[in-house]
This record gives sequence, structure tokens and C-alpha cells, in this order.
Amino acid sequence: MLISYRWLARHVDLEGLDAHRVAELLTLHTAEVEGVEPFAPALSEVVVGHVLERVQHPDADKLGVCRVDVGAHAGGTEPLQIVCGAPNVAAGQKVAVARIGSVLPGDFKIKKSKIRGVESVGMICSVRELGLGDDHDGIWVLDADAPVAAPVGTPVAAALEVDDWVIEIDNKSLTHRPDLWGHRGIAREIAALTGRALRPLDTALPTPSGAATVQVDVQHPGCSRYVAVAIDGVRATESPRWLRMLLLAVGQRPIDLLVDTSNFVMLDIGQPNHLFDRRALGGRPIVVRGARAGETMATLDGVERALTTDDMLICAGDEPVALAGVMGGAGSKVAEGTTELLLEVACFDPSVVRRTAARVGLRTDSSTRFEKHLDPLLPLTAAGHVVQVLRSIQPDVTVAGPVVEGGTWTDPTRTIDVRPQRVRHLLGTPVDDERIASIFESLDLAVERRTPDTWRVTVPARRATKDLTIEEDLVEEVGRVLGYDTIVSTPMLAPVAPAPRDRRRELVRLLADRLSGTGRFHEALTYSFVDESLVSALGLGALPYAIAVNPVAEGMARIRRSVAPSLIGKLETNLAQRSEVRLFEIGKGTRPEQLDERGQPHEVHRLALVLARANASGSPSPSATLGELQTLLTDALGRTGAGAVDFVAAPVVTPDDHAWAHPRRRMAIQVGGSSVGLVGALDPRAAARLCDGADVAVAEVCLDALLELGLTPPSYRPIPRFPGVKVDVALATPGDRPAREVMDLIEKAGKGLVASTELFDVYRGEGLGDGRKSLAWHVVLQAADRTLTEKDQNTFLDRLERMATQAGAELRRQ
Amino acid sequence: MDIEAHERTVRSRIAEATDADALRAIEREYLEKGGVVADLLASIPTLPPTERKAAGQGANALKRAVTEALESRRAALDGAQLEAELAAPDFDPTIPARPLDAGSLHPITQAARRLEEIFSSMGYHVLDGPEVELDHYNFEALNIPKDHPARDMQDTFFVSASGDRSDTSGALVMRTHTSPVQVRAMERLEPPFRAIAPGRVFRQETTDATHEHTFHQMEGLVVGDGISVAHLIGTMKTFLREVFERDLDVRLRPGYFPFVEPGFELDARCPFCESGCRVCKQSRWIELCPCGLVHPNVLRAGGIDPERYSGFAFGLGLSRLVMLRYGLDDIRHLMGADVRFLEQF
Repeated sequence: MLISYRWLARHVDLEGLDAHRVAELLTLHTAEVEGVEPFAPALSEVVVGHVLERVQHPDADKLGVCRVDVGAHAGGTEPLQIVCGAPNVAAGQKVAVARIGSVLPGDFKIKKSKIRGVESVGMICSVRELGLGDDHDGIWVLDADAPVAAPVGTPVAAALEVDDWVIEIDNKSLTHRPDLWGHRGIAREIAALTGRALRPLDTALPTPSGAATVQVDVQHPGCSRYVAVAIDGVRATESPRWLRMLLLAVGQRPIDLLVDTSNFVMLDIGQPNHLFDRRALGGRPIVVRGARAGETMATLDGVERALTTDDMLICAGDEPVALAGVMGGAGSKVAEGTTELLLEVACFDPSVVRRTAARVGLRTDSSTRFEKHLDPLLPLTAAGHVVQVLRSIQPDVTVAGPVVEGGTWTDPTRTIDVRPQRVRHLLGTPVDDERIASIFESLDLAVERRTPDTWRVTVPARRATKDLTIEEDLVEEVGRVLGYDTIVSTPMLAPVAPAPRDRRRELVRLLADRLSGTGRFHEALTYSFVDESLVSALGLGALPYAIAVNPVAEGMARIRRSVAPSLIGKLETNLAQRSEVRLFEIGKGTRPEQLDERGQPHEVHRLALVLARANASGSPSPSATLGELQTLLTDALGRTGAGAVDFVAAPVVTPDDHAWAHPRRRMAIQVGGSSVGLVGALDPRAAARLCDGADVAVAEVCLDALLELGLTPPSYRPIPRFPGVKVDVALATPGDRPAREVMDLIEKAGKGLVASTELFDVYRGEGLGDGRKSLAWHVVLQAADRTLTEKDQNTFLDRLERMATQAGAELRRQ
Repeated sequence: MDIEAHERTVRSRIAEATDADALRAIEREYLEKGGVVADLLASIPTLPPTERKAAGQGANALKRAVTEALESRRAALDGAQLEAELAAPDFDPTIPARPLDAGSLHPITQAARRLEEIFSSMGYHVLDGPEVELDHYNFEALNIPKDHPARDMQDTFFVSASGDRSDTSGALVMRTHTSPVQVRAMERLEPPFRAIAPGRVFRQETTDATHEHTFHQMEGLVVGDGISVAHLIGTMKTFLREVFERDLDVRLRPGYFPFVEPGFELDARCPFCESGCRVCKQSRWIELCPCGLVHPNVLRAGGIDPERYSGFAFGLGLSRLVMLRYGLDDIRHLMGADVRFLEQF
């Protein structure tokens, strides 16, 4: 909301408070100020000039050559010669002159020039050139509506007394303050904060001079009060300069006296109002009713609007003339020459107005105010104010008949019990009773000290609708007027106790540290929404998803079930930059098929990893990344101490949250024998579509499952006292024999002496026979109680050879 | 040749030797089997008995002298060689070290960890809340009933669990702030307690360099006996001192949030300048976080008697802190998962 400093001064004496000080007071005590700007700075650039003479340009029909007295100027005191093309310029006028060097809106700098051979020293300005409106039909004649007393050469802003500052207040910070949506409300704050008096405002309705009658029939509960006043003798002339300037200062375009007065009163005291052409109503009653299904109406902006039964209408008879609280109807415009008006000032229900405004997408000055829950006492004040403003400009305006009212309303004035001790207690500051009482009184909150400990405070209607309803609201009033800077920072007193241990966070930290450290993964964060095309490329489209009903973009409605797909979606752009990408993310997935009793979907906590290598020429073996990812998972998950990490075959299931995984190259990740997730190569079809066939391994780990296993510090094993013996063995087996079985064979042959086995080569090819493979292992034999000899080694090899032969394998002696 | 002549000769030969091989040759010639000293000793029995003693002593003296001279010449030569090696110009200090392709933790994680450490050290619980949240916790329980204008402050994503785009029940939303954790915390914990809740939040708005539909916040909540605005100010000052590693002035201004009463905006003295800069828009204050005393309706919604306990709450913009801290010019990097961004942290 824009506030004019000059406008504020109509309501409170601002002596000694400049616009910046006013803004500071508001910032610290009332609401958020977004900026303070001078109004139309061009008005201080241009000066009053007196047109002494206008003669025809010798060489151009439409141009005149003027001699303009601007008093003393850089070149002396001689009148300036200015070439001007405006049809309305004439000798004797007072005009706005931009001299050489002046800068007008649009960074337009005035320079000396020659126009068709005639020298021109300056410019006579139009309203538009000064940034004050659209009028560019001619120059701005300053004394058109009133003489200009200031001498020539005076800056126009000062001469016309229209210099002003504009204070912008953040609307959100006024959400709870219906009383601050007009200048008088802001002025009331300044008055309370500086101990000044608010100037009186005469809003009494004059006695009706006639007996014009209007019928008002309020049928809708959303209209608690409808005030109708018939007004006669009004002419839609141009508004006086002071009114136009104030409206311009707060960003409103002056139209004519009727529209301008209506807007002025709204911006002055915060009450929207509407002027109807009484003749157009044709004697029909004003009916406030709900819209009927399928009904339509054209609003003032010319748009035909489809209505719903939630909307409230103002009708003449049955014909809609306004969308209540939002905008007038196209047909309700006051026709030229009308002198008979009907003034509507009403109190509409905030929810009804809010819903309609939101649905039709029309957030108007009017709807914004009604939403805040306006004071039902205000309509009568506003009606009087409209009439008084009109009469101050056109003295023969009269009230044509008695005020007609409709609707049922109650005075919201209320009392709140407040304990001064609680005020001190919640603010944490020793403000005394007298100061508290004086703050209340400065805000028109009457105090009745029923007991020393409990006071009864009466809240005036304008603040009682929604804003001040409980004791804590009054605590805030004391705190903000007092100034929060007076409260001394105080440490809290609390039992000294550590926060409880948080195992989930410990687990997440441990994994993230290990993966970003040893694992050399980058931690990424990605959206909780997953792209439609990604979901379908990964074969995850048939699963149930919660969706955003109003997504930020089409195709971004689905809320992810797990985290790995989002990371897979980030591979392509990253692989365009580098040949290897390692990403992990710890995040959440939403499972709408599991709703709790309150309808909340189950949330899963996941760790996802991707390890990808671009498909370079001479590409590595197709599952190189898968093995690496297993190594890194073994390391990181092993650190949890929850048990040995192992990988076992994982069959495809339907529906499958792991559909991104290769149908065969996929394994369940086990920790201490419990399954905690899945690791696999990215399905080659998905890899082809999403990342140019890169070699990608993906894993997703369920943190909840991991957490259930507990975090255990590693258990100590004594360092062996006797050296071990390293033996390399190669075993040829049928091609489909799992490595696990071969490993078991080695361990059995060792009879408890096998300390470790490590597969270092898999060979298929010549010399092995059809479909056979050879697995080569580093084996360490070790005993706890003695140094092993060559004899032990030979015993192991002999035994292994025998057992291998029995198992259809063959120990290959070098 | 007498002993002295031998000694002179060998000493000068040793002094002239320039490498280990030459010294070794001399050693062999004089000291080893069949060498000069051995010959001298072998010749003793042929001498007259009166000369034998002196000859023996002479041979031994020669042996000693040669040994010592060899040793010292060897040491000198080794030293010279070491000097030469140390002085060799074959080292280029400008050869670049090979970069390590290391991993990284996301800056949001790093910031959240720092804040968690600060608050945990002061006895705060670290809590978590769901991202798909019930309207009850996101709005109703926070004193934001249906049709409240404050709902406009938060451009809300509405969620359908059944995946139905025409679902307008509005019962589920993507949480618009971390504040829903307030009432969840009250339901779970017995006062007095202190808690923080970092996490992602969602606003239905178009993204650009300064707007993102998904960003991070951290909620703070303290409920206890006699908690006041003075405690809120004290807590925020302590916390800021830890984050910025110096004392920063703070100020409270009135701010409206339906779930606090009184409600504030907390500003801190700009930590980046002394006299106005781009970050503080020349005001020397930076808006840091909305906060306030917990509204009695919110305490009640969490099952806490507002006459018995009071509390304060604050909401820190984690994404904003990270942007300030690193001078990020585009918020979209945070959720972009671009390694060129991530590897910088």
C-alpha cells in the first residue's frame, strides 16, 4: 500500500517528522516499510514560467515561438525563447518550464536546440512529460483551475504545494490490521506513537433535502450492512488539483470527481464504496443476493464473468450491477451528464469476498480491504465523508433522501481482560502499570482497573473485528508501542541437560561423511517432484503417486516415491560435463498407498547413489561401475557396525519401485542378513534413453531398515601374533557356477585357517573348455597359535584339489 | 722407500682421488692382502732384530694413517656429492599437483549441521516432519483457519494422495514452512523443551534467480516456564554470535504471522558491511527471520496450557543463509545437482 506524506499531514501534524522518520516509526512500531520515494521528482526539476508572448514560428504552421519569464536562470534574467508545438499555449499562462540541464522522467535531459532554424532554450511541459498522467493533448496550464501565487522561477512542486513523499508499506504486514488500510489509520498510529492528536474529520451526513426513496433488500448473509444514500446535484467534472495530486502520489489515475472522490474516501479511511447512476437503476430496489448457478455478468473491466453460487451480487431488481465487494458491473458506469447518484457503502463478509476474488482472479483495492474484516460502523462514516468531500468541491450537492439501510450487524466493540503482570511476564521487561495504561489510552483502548491485577480494556470497533481479541494481542500493543529495543536480552534458565541422542541423524551423518569422503561422491539435493518423462523412461509410471493438484509445471505433478529416480534424471547434464559422475542424496519418498488414520501418506527415508561413466569408445566391461558401487556400499554400510554387508540375487517383482534396475544385474543389499535396499546396473533401455548408454550403477538404501539394525561401534579383533601365508589359487568351474560356491569351497578346504579371500580375476576363454570360467583368488591362511609352514599350505592345496574335483571344478596348478 | 715417503705419497694420492673407485683402489693397494702394509709387515723377520720393533710400529702407523686419510677423503667426497645432489637444478616447483577428484557435502547440509551443532549444544532436540503435510498442521493448528487472508502469504501446493487432479479437498499440502513441526513437537515432547527442525519447504511459484519452489528452512521452538520476548532476543543473539563468530546487534520489528503473538521480524546488523552494501540494500540491517511468542491457540492445539507455559518460535531461512554465506547469485543452483556447483563446497 502506498501512503502519501502530504495526505497523512491532513490527519496529523507532522511538524518535525520527515517522511523517513515517519517510515522509521512505522517500521519499528507498526508494519514493514518497503521504501520511501519522492513523489514525481520531475516537479522539483521544473519551474513556474510566465508566457509573455507567443508568435507563429516563421517556418512551421503548427509551432509557436514563446517568450517565457522564468526569473533568474543560468544565462541571466532575460525571458527564455522556447519553441512549443502545443495548441493550447497562450500568452499570460503560468506553465511548467524545464530549463537547460533539467532531467525529466525516462532520463530525458533538456538541451539547447534549434527547431526549424529557431533557437529553443528549454521546454514547456505537458502532464505526461512530468510523469503525472497520460494527458498529452497540450501543455499543463498551471493556473487553469486556480491562480498560482508563487513567483516565476519557483519549482512547480513548491509553487503548487504538491511536493510529496510516498511511503510503501508491505501489504502482508497489514493482514491483521483492517484499520490501517487508509491514510487516517496510519496517521492514527503516528499520533499514538508521538503523543500527538488526530485532527478532527467531519463526516456527518447533511440533513436530506428531499424524499427520494430507494429500497434495499439484503437477502444474503454475507452482507451484514448495506448503507444507501441518494445524492443529487453532482457533476462529473475534473477533480481539483489537490485531489488529483494526492491520488497520483499513491498511484491512482484521476478520472473525474465522482470516481476520484470514491477512491479518495477508500484510501483515506479504508472503506470501499460505490457510486451508481440512480437513473440507470430505474427505481428498482437494490437486492443483495447470491448468484445463481450458470449466471454471468460483465464487470467494469469489460470481462464477461461466469458466476457460481458462492458469489454475492448487488442487483437492481434482478439485474446484477456489481460483484459484491470486488468490482462494479459494466452497466453500472455513471453516464455523462448524470447528477443523480446512489452511494453504496457496505460491509461484506471477508470469506465470501475472498473466495470470489480468488476464483475470478480479481484482487481489487476493494476486495483486499473487505478480506481484512472491516468495521461495520465504518459505512455510515464513509457515506458522510463522501458527501462532505463532494460538497467541499461542489457546494450545491445535496442528500436527496433519508439514508436507507439493510442487513443485520452487531457492534464488534469488545472488552478484554488483561493482567499487567502477564504483560511484563511475556515481554520480559519491567514496564510499570502507568506506562501500560498510557499506551492503551494512546491507542483509544479504554482501561478500567477492576482490580489492581486485572484490568478491563475496551477495544474500539475498528480494531475489534479480528485484530485485538485476546490478552496476548494487548501484550503486543504494549510491546510495539514501547519499542522492542527497550527489552533487554536475557539468557534462558533451564536444566542443564544434553539433547537426547538422535540415531537417525548420526546414521545419516556417518553415511554422508563416508560417501563424500572415501567414496568421493557429491551430495546432491533434488526436487520432491519427479518429471513425468523420467518416471515413464524408468518404467515407474504404473505405481501409485501422490500428486500436486496445482503443479509448478505440467509434467511435474508427481511426488516422488523414492530418491534414486531423481538422481538418475540428473545424469545426462552432468555426463555432458565430465566422464564420471558420482552423486548421492539422502531424502524422502511419499507412499500414498499407505495412509494413516488421518489420511497422511507414509513417508520413507532413503539414501540413493548413482555412479556413472560415460560410454567412451573402447568402453569398459559393462558392469564395471556396479562392482565399484558394491565396494563403496560395503565400506559405507559396514561403518554402521550393523553387520556384514552382503549382496544377494534380487528377483524382479511387480509393481517394482526398482524398475530402473537391470532385470538380472540387480542385488538386494543385506546388512547383517537383513535386506536394506537394492543395487543394480541401470536398465540398458533406460540408460539409452536417459544418458546415452552410459555405464551406470544405482543403489537405493532404506534408512529406516538400516536404523532398525542399530548403530554399533566396531568390535575389536586381536592383531594376529603369527604371520599368515599368502596363496594364489585358480579354480576352473562351469560357467554358471556362482562365485559364492567357489569361495565356500576354499573356506571349507582351509579348515578354519582361511583368514581372507579376494577374487582378483575372472577368465573365460581358450584352454578351459566350453562355457567354463576360471576364478582366481588371493587367499591368506593364518593360525592364531603358530606360524604356518609349507606343509600346511600343501595340505590346504591338496584338500582343495580333491574337493574341487568332487564339485565338478578343477584346481589349476601353475 | 721409508715409511715417511710412503705416507707422503699415499696422502697426496688420496687427496687427489676424485671418486670412490680411486679410493677403493688405493685401499686395496695399501691395506689389503698383498698390499704395501702387508709387505712391510712380511718383511720384518728379514730385518735385524734391533730394527724390527721400529719397522713394526712404522707399518702400523702407515696403516692407521692410510685408513684415516681414506675415511676423511671419503667423507669429503660423499659430502660433496650430497651437496651436488641437493643443489641439482632438475626440480621444477611449478609442476602442478594433480587434482584429487574428491566428493563433497551439499552446502545446505553443511549449514544445517552447523546450526544443529549450535542448537544441540544448547540442549535443543533436532526434529523432523513430513513434507506432504496435513492441512491441520500446516495451517489450522497454526491459527490459520480456512479463508484466512494469511493463507495468501503462502502459495500452497495442494496434494491429492489418490493422484486425482480434480481433488480439491485441500486436506493435504506440500508443507509451506517448517512451522508444522511446532505442533507435532508439542504433541511429542513434555514441556519444558527446546527443539529445532530443519527441512525442505515448498511454495507454488515460478522459479528464477531469486525464487525457488523448493527451499530449506529451520524452525526453532522453545516452550517452558516464563519464556518471554527477552529470552527470544537473548537466544537469537547467542545463535548469531555462533554463526557469524562475532556479536551482532539485532532488532525486533512488528511482523504479522498468525501463529505467533506478538510476532516479529528479526533484523541483524549486516555482517558484511560497515556502512551499507548490496546485501543489506544500504539499510545496514538484514532481515533474518520471522519469530514471536507462540500464539496461545497454537499451544492449545499442541495440548499445552498457555496459562502454565509460554514459548517462542522462529523460522530461519536456511537457503537464504547459505546464499548470504557464499554469495550465491542464483538460488536454483541449490536444487540443481550440477557437479560443477556441488564440488565447490
